[in-house]
Amino acid sequence: MGRIRAGFEDFGEQVLFAGEALAWAFRPPFRFELLLHQAAAIGVGSTFIVAVTGLFAGMVLALQGNYAMRQFGAEGYVGGFVAISLVRELGPVFTALMVTGRSGSAITTELGTMRVTEQVDAMESMAVNPIHYLVVPRVLAATLMMPVLDVVFTATGYLGGYLIGVYVSGIAPGPFLDHTRSMLEVGDLEHGLSKALVFGAVVSLIATYRGFRATGGARGVGEATTRAVVWSSVAILVVDYLLTFISIG
Amino acid sequence: MIEIRDLWKSFGDKEVLRGITLDVEPGTTFVVLGASGSGKTVLLKHVIGLLRPDQGSVVVDGKEISSLRGPDLTDARQVFGMVFQGSALFDSMTVFDNVAFPVRERERRIPHDELLARVIESLRVVDLGEDVLDLWPSQLSGGMRKRVSLARALVANPKIVLYDEPTTGLDPITTNSVDAMIDQAKERRGVTSMVISHDIASAFRVADRLAVLYDGRIAAQGAPEEVRHSDDPYVQRFLSLWFEKQ
Ligand SMILES: Nc1ncnc2c1ncn2[C@@H]1O[C@H](COP(=O)(O)OP(=O)(O)OP(=O)(O)O)[C@@H](O)[C@H]1O
Ligand SMILES: [Mg+2]
Repeated sequence: MGRIRAGFEDFGEQVLFAGEALAWAFRPPFRFELLLHQAAAIGVGSTFIVAVTGLFAGMVLALQGNYAMRQFGAEGYVGGFVAISLVRELGPVFTALMVTGRSGSAITTELGTMRVTEQVDAMESMAVNPIHYLVVPRVLAATLMMPVLDVVFTATGYLGGYLIGVYVSGIAPGPFLDHTRSMLEVGDLEHGLSKALVFGAVVSLIATYRGFRATGGARGVGEATTRAVVWSSVAILVVDYLLTFISIG
Repeated sequence: MIEIRDLWKSFGDKEVLRGITLDVEPGTTFVVLGASGSGKTVLLKHVIGLLRPDQGSVVVDGKEISSLRGPDLTDARQVFGMVFQGSALFDSMTVFDNVAFPVRERERRIPHDELLARVIESLRVVDLGEDVLDLWPSQLSGGMRKRVSLARALVANPKIVLYDEPTTGLDPITTNSVDAMIDQAKERRGVTSMVISHDIASAFRVADRLAVLYDGRIAAQGAPEEVRHSDDPYVQRFLSLWFEKQ
C-alpha cells in the first residue's frame, strides 16, 4: 500500500513539475541560445541511432508485410502497409524510445549530477530559476526535435522497406509506390507527427524531473537515470494508446 | 537586515535546528561557529530560501523568504551572493563562464569587454590571474575552486553575501586576503555578510557579531568579546581548546 501511495504522490509531483515548467516557459527572458544548443545536442545525439533503427524497422515491416499479404496475392499493398505503419505508429514510438535511451538518459544524468553537487542550488542562489534555465530549454528542444527525428526514422524506414520489398521480396516498384500514394493520407502524417510532439514533451519532462529529484551521490544519479528510462518507456506506450484511442477508437 | 525567528528544521526524525533566533544588522558581518554537523549549512540555506523551515521564519529586508515561492522567491534572491561549502561551480562551464554567469543573468545586454573586465577584476581580488579564465572546474585545485566560487558570489555586487566556510582549504595568506575581502565589501559598499567558519582566528577577526551553534540551538551570541567570555560550558570548551594553543 505504501508503495502505491508513494507512486501516486510521485506522479502528482511530476504533473506539478510539468505545470511549473509550462508556466516558466512563457516568462522572459527567453534563452534562445540555450534552446538551440539543446536542440543541436538532441539532434546530434539521436539522429544516427534513429536512422539505423528506422532502416531496420522498415526492412522488417516489408518482410512481414510480404509474408502476410502474399497469401492473398496482395503483396502490392506492402508499400502502403510499410508507410502507414511507420507514419502512424512505429515512427513516433520507436523514435521516442531511442531518444529516451540516448538523450533522455543523458539529460537525467547531467541534471542529477548538478543536483547532487549543489550546482542547482548555486544557480538558485544567483536568482536564476533552474526550471527556467535548465528544464525549459531541454523540454522545448525535445518537443521540437522529436517530430524532426520521427521524419528521419520514417523516411529511412520507408527506404529500407522499399529496398527489401522490391529487391529481396521481388515486389514490382510501380504498385509498391502507387499503393503507398493511394493509401497514405495527410491525416496519417498529422496523427504521427502530433504523437511525436507529445512524446517529446513527455520524455523530456520525465527526464528532467528525475534528474532534479536525484539524491545521494553517483549511485543516486544512476538510479534516477534508470527510473527516467523505465518510466519514459512506459509513458510512451501508455500515451501512445491513449492518443490512438482518441483519434480512431 | 536578516531576521531569523524561532527556526525549526528536521530531516526525518533528526532534529537539526531547534528554535534559532538571530538578527543580522545591515552592513555588518555575522559569523556562525559550531561543530561539524551542528546545522550551520542548514541554517544558511534557510536564509536564501533553499530550504524551508518546519516552523519559524526568515525575513530579509522586510520580505519573508521562508514563505515566498516561484518567481517571487527568485526575485527576492537578487540581493544575495552565496559561497557554497563545496564550491558548487558549474562543471560544464569554464571559469570565465562561471564567474560571468550572475552578471550575464542580471545585465543581459552587457558588452563583452565590460563583462571580461569585471570577471578579471573579481578573480584578481582572490589572487587568481587571467590564465585560469579558460580552465574547467575539474582542472582547478580545491582551493582554486573555492576562490573562483568567491569571485562568482561577489562579481554582481550583491548587498548580502552568505559564506559557507570560505577559507576552509586555503593557505594562511589567501585566508587573510579573503578576510580582507569580506571587510572591504562591508566598508566600501555596506555589504551584509553571514559567514560560517571553522577558522576561529579568522572568525574573531571579521565578526561584528558571532554565534555558536550547539545541539540545534544557539549556545551563545553577541560581540566577539561577549562570546569569548560566555559562561556557557559548551562555548567555553569549544573556544578554550583553540585559545590555549595561541
Ligand atoms: N538534505 C538533508 N537531508 C538529510 N539530512 C540532512 C540534510 N542536510 C543536512 N542534514 C543533516 O543535518 C545535520 C547538519 O548538517 P549541516 O550540513 O548543516 O552541518 P554543518 O554544521 O554545516 O557541518 P560542517 O561544518 O561539517 O559543514 C547533519 O547531521 C546532516 O546529516
Ligand atoms: Mg556545512
